[in-house]
Amino acid sequence: MSANYIPQPDLGFIAEIKGLGGETLKKCYQCATCSVACPIAPENSPFPRKEMIAASWGLKDKLIGNADIWLCHQCGDCTDMCPRGAAPGDVLAAIRSAAITEYATPKALAKAINDPSKLPLLLGIPAAWFALLAIITTAFGGIMEKIFHALFGDALGGRLHWSHAHEGAEHVIAHSNFVSTWFVDMTFVPTAIFATVVFFLALKRFIVDIHDNAVLEGKTDKTSLDYKALLQSVINVIPMVLKHDKFNQCEANKDRSTPHMMVLFAFIGLFIVTAVCGIMLYVGGYAGPYPQLNPIKWLANIAGVSLVIGSGMMIKNRLTNKTQVTAYKDWFILGIVFALGLSGMLTEMARLAEIAWLSYFFYWIHLIAIFELFAFLPFSKMAHIVYRTVAMGYADYANRK
Amino acid sequence: MTTENSAPVSGSIMVVGGGISGLTTALEAAEVGYEVFLIEKEASLGGRVTQLKHYFPKLCPPTCGLEINYRRLKDNKNIKVYTLSEVQNVDGTPGDYTVTVKSTPRYVNSNCTCCGECEKVCETEISNEFNFGMNRRKAAYLPHNMAFPQRYVMDSAMGKDDREKVKEACKYNAIDFSMEESTFDLKVGAVVFTTGWQPYDATRIDNLGFGRYQNIITNMMLERLASSNGPTEGKIIRPSDDKAPETIAFAQCAGSRDENHLPYCSYICCLASLKHATYIRAQYPDAKIYIYYIDLRTPGRKYENFYAKLKADENVFFVKGKVAEVSEESGTGNINLVAEDTISGEKIRQTVDMLVLATGMQPTCAIDKPAADLTFDDEGFIINDFSKGGLFAAGCANKPADVVTSNQNATGMALKAIQTLRR
Ligand SMILES: Cc1cc2nc3c(=O)[nH]c(=O)nc-3n(C[C@H](O)[C@H](O)[C@H](O)COP(=O)(O)OP(=O)(O)OC[C@H]3O[C@@H](n4cnc5c(N)ncnc54)[C@H](O)[C@@H]3O)c2cc1C
Ligand code: SF4
Ligand code: SF4
Ligand code: SF4
Ligand code: SF4
Repeated sequence: MSANYIPQPDLGFIAEIKGLGGETLKKCYQCATCSVACPIAPENSPFPRKEMIAASWGLKDKLIGNADIWLCHQCGDCTDMCPRGAAPGDVLAAIRSAAITEYATPKALAKAINDPSKLPLLLGIPAAWFALLAIITTAFGGIMEKIFHALFGDALGGRLHWSHAHEGAEHVIAHSNFVSTWFVDMTFVPTAIFATVVFFLALKRFIVDIHDNAVLEGKTDKTSLDYKALLQSVINVIPMVLKHDKFNQCEANKDRSTPHMMVLFAFIGLFIVTAVCGIMLYVGGYAGPYPQLNPIKWLANIAGVSLVIGSGMMIKNRLTNKTQVTAYKDWFILGIVFALGLSGMLTEMARLAEIAWLSYFFYWIHLIAIFELFAFLPFSKMAHIVYRTVAMGYADYANRK
Repeated sequence: MTTENSAPVSGSIMVVGGGISGLTTALEAAEVGYEVFLIEKEASLGGRVTQLKHYFPKLCPPTCGLEINYRRLKDNKNIKVYTLSEVQNVDGTPGDYTVTVKSTPRYVNSNCTCCGECEKVCETEISNEFNFGMNRRKAAYLPHNMAFPQRYVMDSAMGKDDREKVKEACKYNAIDFSMEESTFDLKVGAVVFTTGWQPYDATRIDNLGFGRYQNIITNMMLERLASSNGPTEGKIIRPSDDKAPETIAFAQCAGSRDENHLPYCSYICCLASLKHATYIRAQYPDAKIYIYYIDLRTPGRKYENFYAKLKADENVFFVKGKVAEVSEESGTGNINLVAEDTISGEKIRQTVDMLVLATGMQPTCAIDKPAADLTFDDEGFIINDFSKGGLFAAGCANKPADVVTSNQNATGMALKAIQTLRR
């Protein structure tokens, strides 16, 4: 910080942080207990004390592009020991949420995700969309088959079909009979591309910002940005992320580590399942539902159960933990994750119970939940997967100790 | 002095607690002609200031203020002092209270000359609470050299054999084990509570290690170590090995300004640590002193000047950042402490010979609530409700304060008590 630094308080930013779960930030009196209490704060320029004063002053530029806010795992040790009840852990979480909004484009969508009044719209659009696709699939399958044949009939030597169903599929419950797999993919492939592009644009700015901030605050020994070395560092920290090493250093909320790990691994499991299914379908021409004995089915089931239990435990922790603030942004994402896991499991159970309409209903919910998760990934709290991993990688790259 | 039920005189004032505030209240009221009952729970008057080595900011010994007050007290027939006594109940309305007082026996009468023979022969030893348990004393003892009344006490813990021995040793027929506990009523028009403060229990400040590591002491313990009438005869040495400390750190706001402990500022602990730096500097000119603080609170011109003087001292270092973690260096008994220096933004890990916790004051009435129609704030201080009148509080029973402020407050409350009687 230069000697003649003139702070530019941004009152709107203070209000924003308060609204995102950081109501207590003004209670801080800069005792620095939190910086010592934090089990993962580095020796040089530790957090979160300096973030607390920056937040009090509304110094947005010192917070949004500050990688330290992402090193925090919101364990709550600092909040526990804070003599003023300023809840620095919750304030950092609120700042992270603001940072996600800041880096995301389009801004309007980012704002809508933190706004409870926009929830009906955010749920309603995909709900209507999937309902439409279901109607087309179920009522106009024949027409679609013809259109499809006319368009691609001879491609790949006639191996492409509209329907992915097995022989005699009218008699089994197959979800492609409800919403065509083509439709599902036509929705989610562009959604995934959209999310990736948003993340790409965000990271381009984010990485430059966190580097500039680190140079300015003397938190790195690197003067220029070497993207290749940074990428290597990001790869280096992935085992640490998977093992929850940092998470496990926390005292106050130790019990948060296990459910978080369950959810993370569940997503990794489901990602593998989705990838394998895609390959089986498009390369092997083998469509679901797969028999229960298929190993991919085991993985899917284990991951699904772990997702439901993990996110269920998180919700329970949030409900019972009075020392940690739970804001709308937290409920939004927890709700979606839980709904995604639960609807997936219920879809399968209803299918096995051979109640077709119920299974299709749950599948519809499931599709909405998946859409919420993917389309809003760069805008919701879920974006922490990307930002935190990059920030941890940057800390490794920058020799932040 | 009376220990029995003396006939109530209309228009008397009771003062509960004989510390510096209580003495002032009692004297101010008595010297303008009112009868005053001064009730003190301990065997001696004087309160907490008797445990200090020096008063800031002038750094004179507490005898300075106390001696003159004791003289005024002796000269004044209007004050009746009840030591080893506590108020059990206050009944009635402003101008007309009935106070129930319980007195426990001292087993020593006014014949005592403080010759000390009883102490020599007594074998029973008890923990010396005047020195915060840092040493032991005989069960026949004089509370301290500034005791008022200057009279020995026989502790009830004394064994049968010892009781025989001390009686035999006393040439003045001063020891009387037939004395009994008594409860009696006094009629007064107003009561002023000057029950003072207790050092906040440092064992409750988990992250500061008091009680776990020997070389972490409290500021009041340091007062006793530095006092010539203390457990080490005034030598500041560390508890684990009696070593003269070369580096000493102070942790300010230990248990004060903390929602998990005392939420308020205790007002005096910044000045106390600055004063303690002068004790150490005088004894060990080369010792290094580190004061870890959030903000240094030295209100007023005199206190600011006092701070300025220490700031200029090359062996006193001020670090802006609270000590938040401590541990013990294995083998040496040294203390490792961790803080963030908020000026440089670096974490500081320092190893010191001794760490002093600048603990604050908790009102005595927060721990031992008087049975009277009083209003308390959330922290247990007594709020002066002048619209109700009759019952008042002065000194540290009312707010955390230094001696000067306590005395000003006490004088004011003496006047409030008088006004109650004259309505
Ligand atoms: C480490 C430290 C150093 C300090 N140094 C200084 C200094 O240098 N200069 C300065 O100005 N101030 C100093 N202070 C502050 C000073 O100690 C107080 O201002 C002072 O003690 C206040 O006097 P008091 O009479 O209100 O309370 P106390 O001194 O606590 O006196 C209260 C009296 O009431 C008695 N009592 C309590 N309960 C009852 C009851 N139920 N019935 C009957 N009697 C009862 C007690 O036994 C005691 O005698 C220091 C404080 C600390 C913590
Ligand atoms: S957030 Fe709490 S612990 Fe941290 S500096 Fe502020 S008051 Fe102290
Ligand atoms: S919540 Fe935990 S990780 Fe985050 S700053 Fe506080 S102590 Fe550190
Ligand atoms: S009690 Fe008797 S022996 Fe003891 S000090 Fe007093 S006079 Fe001396
Ligand atoms: S006087 Fe100083 S050390 Fe004591 S509570 Fe106030 S600020 Fe803290």
